[in-house]
Amino acid sequence: MSDYGDSDYDMGGSDAYSSGGDDFSYSGDEAEASSPVAKGAKKSFVVLDKEELRERLGAGVSQVVELLCISDAEATRALRFYKWDLTKLQEEWFADPEAVQVKVGLVDEQPSTRRKEEVCKICFESFSVQDMACARCKHYYCKDCWRGYIHTSIESGPFCLDLRCPDPECKAAVPRRVITAVVDAAHQERYDDFAINSFVDDQRQIVWCPAPDCQNAVMSMHDQLGVAQDIFCRCGNAFCFNCKEEAHRPVDCDTVRKWMIKNSAESENLNWILANTKPCPKCTRPIEKNQGCMHMTCSQCRHEFCWLCEGSWAEHGERTGGFYNCNRYKRAVDKGEVDEQEQRRQHARQSLERYMHYWQRWAENDTSRKRALRQMEAFKSETQELISEYTATPVSQLRFITDAWMQVVHCRRILKWTYATAFYAFADPVNATKEAKARLAQHQEFFEFNQGQAEHYLEKLHGQVEKQLNTFVRPPPSPPEGEAAAAGSEAAGPSGRDQQGWAKFREQLIGLTDVTRIHFEKLVNEFEKGLDEALKEYDVPMAQASTSAAAATAAAAAAEEAAAAKAKAAGKAPADSRRITRASKRRQGPVDQEQAAIEHEAGYWQCSHCTYANEAMDSQECELCSQPRGATR
Amino acid sequence: MDSSQLPRRIIKETQRLLSEPVPGISAAPSEDNLRYFNVIILGPDSSPYQGGVFKLELFLPEDYPMAAPKVRFLTKIYHPNVDKLGRICLDILKDKWSPALQIRTVLLSIQALMSAPNPDDPLDENIARQWKTNEVEAMNTARQWTELYAHQA
Repeated sequence: MSDYGDSDYDMGGSDAYSSGGDDFSYSGDEAEASSPVAKGAKKSFVVLDKEELRERLGAGVSQVVELLCISDAEATRALRFYKWDLTKLQEEWFADPEAVQVKVGLVDEQPSTRRKEEVCKICFESFSVQDMACARCKHYYCKDCWRGYIHTSIESGPFCLDLRCPDPECKAAVPRRVITAVVDAAHQERYDDFAINSFVDDQRQIVWCPAPDCQNAVMSMHDQLGVAQDIFCRCGNAFCFNCKEEAHRPVDCDTVRKWMIKNSAESENLNWILANTKPCPKCTRPIEKNQGCMHMTCSQCRHEFCWLCEGSWAEHGERTGGFYNCNRYKRAVDKGEVDEQEQRRQHARQSLERYMHYWQRWAENDTSRKRALRQMEAFKSETQELISEYTATPVSQLRFITDAWMQVVHCRRILKWTYATAFYAFADPVNATKEAKARLAQHQEFFEFNQGQAEHYLEKLHGQVEKQLNTFVRPPPSPPEGEAAAAGSEAAGPSGRDQQGWAKFREQLIGLTDVTRIHFEKLVNEFEKGLDEALKEYDVPMAQASTSAAAATAAAAAAEEAAAAKAKAAGKAPADSRRITRASKRRQGPVDQEQAAIEHEAGYWQCSHCTYANEAMDSQECELCSQPRGATR
Repeated sequence: MDSSQLPRRIIKETQRLLSEPVPGISAAPSEDNLRYFNVIILGPDSSPYQGGVFKLELFLPEDYPMAAPKVRFLTKIYHPNVDKLGRICLDILKDKWSPALQIRTVLLSIQALMSAPNPDDPLDENIARQWKTNEVEAMNTARQWTELYAHQA
């Protein structure tokens, strides 16, 4: 189920993550708004295109040339030998210069020839020394032979970077000037590419973006390599620095690998088998019943049984209802009897169902994310212009919509992975103590609460940007859906009404994007920190978690403290999306009264900044985002 | 074949091979193809190949000397670095080739390989195993093969 090679990722070179920003960085100003989980203000990676790689490579080589007074070819070779680690090269060089010199092919400079002509040791022709070239060893070869030698070497692979003098006994490195003087453009490019490849491949902190056709590399500034790190390449690909799979925080790379293997082995088959088959009661091979009566004969073990009650067919016949019915089954169902075998099968089914439960949610979010990506692209290429025109807003100010889409895409991905991780994290522990089980249950409750919260806001945001947005993709006279009632009581003209609806949409969407990001940040951070730690912060006494029910209470209590009354807001969510809310500080007089009446009836007031449903009717400050009541952005 | 089309290097190498032959080695270009050499290497003294006359073929490909010559034993030989088809496992014929090497150096290397087989880098698994586990036996077999196949009629 890997996404690489998926056309969704190839976003046609558009700069999805930092419109306008040349050097994208994870938490740079431009990218900040689009980052799904901006963790700290530290710049943790940088995307480098070919030109930037070339520059960095050149700078590194120049530094060594200057520092050690050696030629560029020798410097390149030395850096390559030490995996481009300047510090290590320096250390070893100053500890034992001769040893390093031997390793990198730095031979003593030999005196130049005194003759005017020399014989090329390859073609055996005589040439004027001016028309020949040599390394420090002063083994002279003609330019044609050099070209043949270097071209052959470049054609045979990256070892051309360690090119030595053709003399079999000589270890002298071929200077860059000799190479550039004789090779043609195509070979030069290939040679440079090899150098850049080595620069990236040999360094642990630089990797290529794994998206097909993307030529960017990414340098990580993370202090700890070897752990999952989400990278957002300029090409639009989001991947993990460590395992090169799709970005998957907060899940670790091992879990992702396990999950992917499990999926590739089971997902499609399992889905179908579960939906369409029953296992043979005798040999347990899955059987599909696509037609005919209830009298089944297993094609594998020839066992004859009844499809309904799964009992032996020998006990069936006229008296049990014939070929198309089964009294025994009916009776069992009526009585609620389930035999032992059935229980075992049920257990097996349950574990499959458990997997299916997580897998379906994982897959659904994946599909949803891909669709969101497509919709975002469609917005950028088509809808954006229209909305700009109809709402009289410059395109540059529609960035908030792309940001919302980006947030949806990122959050869908995070959410998807939380299902994979939950599958492993909350599996039924074998031989665990009662306390351990209780703690696990508590963790699960807490995790699922956070997950539910995050998901709730994501759904809201997704709905808003998917459906609400469409109401603005039409000429101004028709007011946005759901705003008609509000508009009716206002004195402003149609366009004014529409403008107001637009302003409100904008402010709500920005607020929702923010809130969604905060929730997902929390979800990711708390999971990465460890649920035990996270729970401790909410100071939940472990004693309460002795039974499953108590665990639920504890988690609820923790959640209560964590997110205050968000749980209630979640409960009100469906109402939120149906009702028309009219909080706006610009409204005055009769509108205010009307507003108050509506809020009173609803039993809450909606924050116009983050859309949170506040139940404290007297409060003048949003419980969630602490913005003053009626504040807009 | 018209020798004027041959690179000067090949002509010079050929001339020198004929005028100053290496002891124990003869290499002469074929009459109809000047890039194709009939080679004879005498089994080196104090090796199990002593007394044997080994025929080889050597071909200079189009991009010689940028590419290595192709060399193959025609005479059957029991040697861990030579396979049934006579192909030779020798670094300078592969990745260690340098255009500054010559036919002469290649043939000298093959001669040296006959004196000192390298069973750690074998081309023929079975012979190499025999060479490592029972060298005396292996040497005997090599001598027998030399007797059988490398003696001129």
